[in-house]
Amino acid sequence: MKFAWKHALLAAGLMLGLAGWGADRAAAAGTLTIAREQDSTTFDPAKTILAPDIWVLTQFYSTLVRSDITATKILPDLAESWTISPDGKTYTFKLRAAKFSDGSPVQASDVVFSLKRVRDMKDAPLRALFSPLDQAEAPDPATVVLTLKTPSPPFLATLAMFAASILPEKAVTAAGDKFGEQPVGSGAFVLREWRRGDTVVLERNPNFWEPGLPKLDRIEWKYVDNDNTRVLKLQAGEVDAATFIPWNQIKQLQADPKLNVQLDNSTRLDHILINHSHKPLDNKLVRQALNTAIDQKAIVDVVTSGFGTVANSFFPLNGVDYNPDNKNYAHDPAKAKAMLEQAGVKNLKLDFVIVAGDSSHEQIAVLVKDQLAKIGVELNIVKLEAGQQWDALVAGDYDLGIMWWLNDVSDPDEKAQFCVSGDPENRSYYTNYNNPEVSVLVQKAAVELDPAKRKEMYYKIQAIAKDDVHWIDLYYSPFRNASRSNVKGFVQDPLGRYALETASVE
Amino acid sequence: MYRFRFVLFRPLQLVPVLLGISAITFVLVRSIPGDPARILLGSRATPETIAQIRAQFGLDEPLWLQFVYFLKNLVHGDMGRSILYKSEVLGIVTDRIEPTAVLVAGSVLLAVVFAVSLSALAATHKGRATDHLVRMFSTAGLGFPAFWLGIMLMMVFSVRLELFPVSGYGDTPLDRLHHMLLPCLTVALALSAVLTRNLRASMIAQMASDYATAARARGLPDRAIFWRHVLPNSIVPTVNLLAINIGWLIGGTVVIESVFSIPGMGQLLVRAIFSRDYMVVQAVAMVFACASVLVNFAADIATVAIDPRVKL
Repeated sequence: MKFAWKHALLAAGLMLGLAGWGADRAAAAGTLTIAREQDSTTFDPAKTILAPDIWVLTQFYSTLVRSDITATKILPDLAESWTISPDGKTYTFKLRAAKFSDGSPVQASDVVFSLKRVRDMKDAPLRALFSPLDQAEAPDPATVVLTLKTPSPPFLATLAMFAASILPEKAVTAAGDKFGEQPVGSGAFVLREWRRGDTVVLERNPNFWEPGLPKLDRIEWKYVDNDNTRVLKLQAGEVDAATFIPWNQIKQLQADPKLNVQLDNSTRLDHILINHSHKPLDNKLVRQALNTAIDQKAIVDVVTSGFGTVANSFFPLNGVDYNPDNKNYAHDPAKAKAMLEQAGVKNLKLDFVIVAGDSSHEQIAVLVKDQLAKIGVELNIVKLEAGQQWDALVAGDYDLGIMWWLNDVSDPDEKAQFCVSGDPENRSYYTNYNNPEVSVLVQKAAVELDPAKRKEMYYKIQAIAKDDVHWIDLYYSPFRNASRSNVKGFVQDPLGRYALETASVE
Repeated sequence: MYRFRFVLFRPLQLVPVLLGISAITFVLVRSIPGDPARILLGSRATPETIAQIRAQFGLDEPLWLQFVYFLKNLVHGDMGRSILYKSEVLGIVTDRIEPTAVLVAGSVLLAVVFAVSLSALAATHKGRATDHLVRMFSTAGLGFPAFWLGIMLMMVFSVRLELFPVSGYGDTPLDRLHHMLLPCLTVALALSAVLTRNLRASMIAQMASDYATAARARGLPDRAIFWRHVLPNSIVPTVNLLAINIGWLIGGTVVIESVFSIPGMGQLLVRAIFSRDYMVVQAVAMVFACASVLVNFAADIATVAIDPRVKL
């Protein structure tokens, strides 16, 4: 009976035939194809807080001012120049001649509209950052005058963030709820096509105000959530770049001459939250003992394959007013044990709440459990699904928990307010940490107009927070992208914005 | 007449099934701890914005009232708005049906081709090397996890041999077919392993049956006996097995869609569950329920068509 074999061969032949036309490889020059780990949900800058939204939508819009690639300086963007009144309350911006992608001119009234929109939109996640804004006026089409309720040194940095993107009033009003799907801005690129769960296609904005930019004609963001697939796509040359390379594959990709691995400084800090309202964690000595018992270096080496940096402050590495010499705890189990004894704490058992299935969390949990066991503290690892873990942290239903932070704004005020000021809403990032000295300093720094004095205050805040162990800093980690070697300038600033207007494919 | 009524009225069963499914999903998905507004807004949420978003999506109403609203909107063809995507659920979900449908249909087609050829091979070569090989395949096929198999196929066929794209869905219909072959193959390998075991056994049983012996005694060629008599008779239980497995298959697309980055229902469902995007979860569950009911209905019709002894 040979017939069945014949059929099997036929089927195999058919498959090979289908495979015949080779896969499309090596994108056309001028097109950058990026595989990324998350999909976008909206391109309305006022309505989102999700990194995958922000990193794409920043390509569509310009802001009044922008931060430089190190996110430490403020540069002109749509505003050519600006003056700030001596009392720090009135900002006057002179706009350059620029057009939106639909051809209409960028006018002062659009700026006024955009800033009021994000301040007054009730469901804008970051509207609180714009609350200092009292009045916004457009005396002529090229001049914007903003008046603040109080002097606010962080305000310029706030204007540089994605949420302060300048939108065309007409187009926003016309699109209504649909604006998030049909964005119009004055950025380097425009949205060409959006297939949810698949691809976002960007094309160069012919009306972009900056001469000679962007260099690319087209960008395709492909959603590839599986880490292995993303790397394989890059290796096969099906995409030009890939985001979030898994830590343990970086070395291997670095060895590939056809690829570049780009590790850009980020404002990301991973840390362990401590619930100060659970005894004996209200005792500073106990918290210091825990921190002393933890070996940050070991955690960095395992979790980030050594590509992270031990964190010595809750301020982001090399960010504005970060103190590189902030005193950290040296890993010393014997000393930590003695500290616990001194505090009179015995048989301490703590619940460590982590996200189930998150491999970094699981690695950190195992290491910390082992490190704390050496000083006689028993850690009960509680694995919860991400949303549940978040609920547990907000509800204060934990002793220790893993969390992370990435700055939205280059200015340190936002993070200081959220993480250590002890304000009743966020309760210092749900740790219930409340040190009146720090709270006062945070509010003083928020309105201090002298940069040198402000820096001094932030150095002091970092030092006290560290001494208090408001939480346990673990590590800073860079953004990890990889690209084919013919891709130039595929970089991210510390806030996560891709500087794609200057990127190119050769 | 009776058959006609069956074909006409059986789909009506969908109505109570969908009602039941939507009620169950409605309660289940809302009883998972985790507040959608809080998850959406993350660490920067103020109680004020959370309250605003909850009110905007009606999450501050009592559960029963939310369900009433949901049913009311459903009657008007409105599936509600997605809290995560800030857009109409209907559009978001319908865009995702095609890729998953192609994946499932393609996998079933490939699996049936494999299963029929392999079990025909095995049954006609019973006890010989070919048979053992096929049986080894069907045991091994069950053991490999789909995500691993998918990555292996990618490494061989896409990265090494450069025959297929690594992942994605493609633009033109032909391009899509090209993109979907590897994912379909991945699912088909596991599925055909299940089917082959079953089909081989029933083919062997049929070949040893009295009617086959009688046909052989009358001088009918083996080939004719096999294709005309053995195959149709042995395939009925396999069709039903396939229908039963359709639930498993649809569930399995979640993994495959992630590995091959296919913009389908499974991928959407996972993200929606993690974000507590209630309306999207609800809609996807209803589409899956519809698909299951329709497939079982189709299997019933196919059984009747293949086997005249079965009455509806």
